[in-house]
Amino acid sequence: MANKKINKKDIAKLLNQWGQQFAVFVPSRESGVAAMAKWDGKDTSFLDWYRNTVVPPKSNFLPPMEEMFRFQKDKEGYQIELPPDGGKQLIFGIRPCDARAMAIIDANFKDLYQDPYYLSRRNSAVLVGLGCDNPSESCFCTSMGVSPAESNDVDLMLTDIGDEFLIEEVSDKGKELIAKTTGLKGATKDDEAKAKEAKKTSYDKVTRKLDTEGIADKLQASFDDEDFWEKVAAKCVSCGICTLLCPTCYCFDINDELVRQQGTRFRSWDSCGFPTYTKMPMENPRAEKWRRVRQKVCHKFEFYPMSFDVIACTGCGRCIRLCPVNWDITQVLESVPAKAKVRK
Amino acid sequence: MLKDREMEQRLRNEARTLLEQGKVDWFIGFEPGSLKFATTPLITKDKNDTERLVINSFIVNNLADFLTQIKGRVGIVAKGCDSRSIVSLIQDNKVAREDVVILGVPCTGLIDLSKVEKLTGKYRDELDDITREGNKVTIKVNGNKKDFPTTQLLFDHCLACELPTPKEYDVLLGEPSPPIANPVAQEKIEKLKQLAPEERWGVWEKELSRCIRCYACRNVCPACFCQRCFVEETEPQWVFPAPRWQDNLMFQIIRNIHVAGRCTDCGECERACPVNIPLRSLAREMYDIVGELFQFKAGMDKDAPPLLTHYEEEEAEGIFR
Repeated sequence: MANKKINKKDIAKLLNQWGQQFAVFVPSRESGVAAMAKWDGKDTSFLDWYRNTVVPPKSNFLPPMEEMFRFQKDKEGYQIELPPDGGKQLIFGIRPCDARAMAIIDANFKDLYQDPYYLSRRNSAVLVGLGCDNPSESCFCTSMGVSPAESNDVDLMLTDIGDEFLIEEVSDKGKELIAKTTGLKGATKDDEAKAKEAKKTSYDKVTRKLDTEGIADKLQASFDDEDFWEKVAAKCVSCGICTLLCPTCYCFDINDELVRQQGTRFRSWDSCGFPTYTKMPMENPRAEKWRRVRQKVCHKFEFYPMSFDVIACTGCGRCIRLCPVNWDITQVLESVPAKAKVRK
Repeated sequence: MLKDREMEQRLRNEARTLLEQGKVDWFIGFEPGSLKFATTPLITKDKNDTERLVINSFIVNNLADFLTQIKGRVGIVAKGCDSRSIVSLIQDNKVAREDVVILGVPCTGLIDLSKVEKLTGKYRDELDDITREGNKVTIKVNGNKKDFPTTQLLFDHCLACELPTPKEYDVLLGEPSPPIANPVAQEKIEKLKQLAPEERWGVWEKELSRCIRCYACRNVCPACFCQRCFVEETEPQWVFPAPRWQDNLMFQIIRNIHVAGRCTDCGECERACPVNIPLRSLAREMYDIVGELFQFKAGMDKDAPPLLTHYEEEEAEGIFR
């Protein structure tokens, strides 16, 4: 194993080095809200406080709002102007749950239609994972096949081994970057052992569990159980927190802003929890709240697996800890009836 | 004063009786949540669920929000602020008084877990326990106990509360508690008001740039009962639907104007916001303006006409003929 390591004191130097090639993003806090933000070139205090971001790093690839193009009408018709390329991003400190989420939604963005906006950002970016050593009580990643301090979905993976981070090269892209990076030391056997121990400790800290065995079948069987879904949806207030801030939710809306003969086309996050969802082409077929709640749950645990063979949830816990009414997806899924109710 | 436990027992009995005797179709209260210290709304038709009802310092939601969604007669747990929201809905003819059975909770203020996290430097799930006795809150971390006065830990809107004990109720579950009215409640707002206009503009640009338009502020607000919100209108489009800060600001300004005279300063908009936008600063300012201009406080009197949807002929000032 040719793993490397770096002293925590030298992280700023490392980020500056990478900053010459990439736009570097690190966990940052504004008014107490953690999100990935452009690195200021100095501050590494996130190493002390960082647990996970409120806004998931999907926002670096599918921003809350983005300009798709500008258009102008003249004698020849419409002239289209594309936005400038945002450059290559390096996301430092992404958690394994969120890195897995990116891998999961990639499938959607390169399926029937290749989304150039998402894919160009995604293909040019480097993900540097940072093992999670203090998962929150709402986290259930280990039930979703994610280990809080291990990842195959990043390019490089860092593990806290005391005064230093162990650096693993996970992808070819990661290997290439390390080859060009100076100031790293080789990891010893002792370092490897420490990292292994740290990963196990993190894994055991995730206490919330969800049994997903046969969940898609159960959901399919309970699809028409209105009583169940009405009960589950009763306290939901139909806000967009659990969807917009979910690392695997990718719905968006498109709007034109038009002033006389010119305008801009924007796309922005949308949520199947909103009553006005899909109002643009027609009506929302899910007028009642329980239908929307059912859609959210089934899309992640039944429909997405049908299309892409993977559950669209990584157990990051955001939907549980950020919900204003403490609606808890693990409780909901545990309570799905094992057998379909016979309808009268 | 009755302890939470005694109020709780009384509440469970009352709620069970209401459902058992068919006096209500639904009961709305709080039950323990799935996260440390959290409670969650309990909305049920089943009398056996009433055994799970709780009253404590973490019953944060304004349950009046659910009244406009539920059909039938409803029994509901109401703190002072919730009761004002219920009364305001009655004033607006959104809820009929005879369709609600209000079980009033004399409230002594709710503990703001964000303040606890700031004071202790710990995340809420890292705390062993939070207990409260009168005006003292004891927080236990890693086995060590530390006391704090409630004024350091209650929500700002609780510190500002003018009606902790509901005035409108069918059953009051305990002895009335006095208003807290602590000046700390206004500190954040006063600081903002002292800024020069350009600086204040800068503050709101920064704060509202984080908005993701999840609409939690609107959806937890009992005063936001429109079937279709202006922000979702497309013809005309009042506000651009994407989260650009200027449009986010417009959304908040219009929302605050729409709930003027209905907002009871329950603080739910700010608490629900996932990106910590200080929304109560806007809401409370509007609340105070309404108070100053019209000597009106929302939800204090179910028989008073609603503020902005009612006018007397002598108010016309020559505009209407």
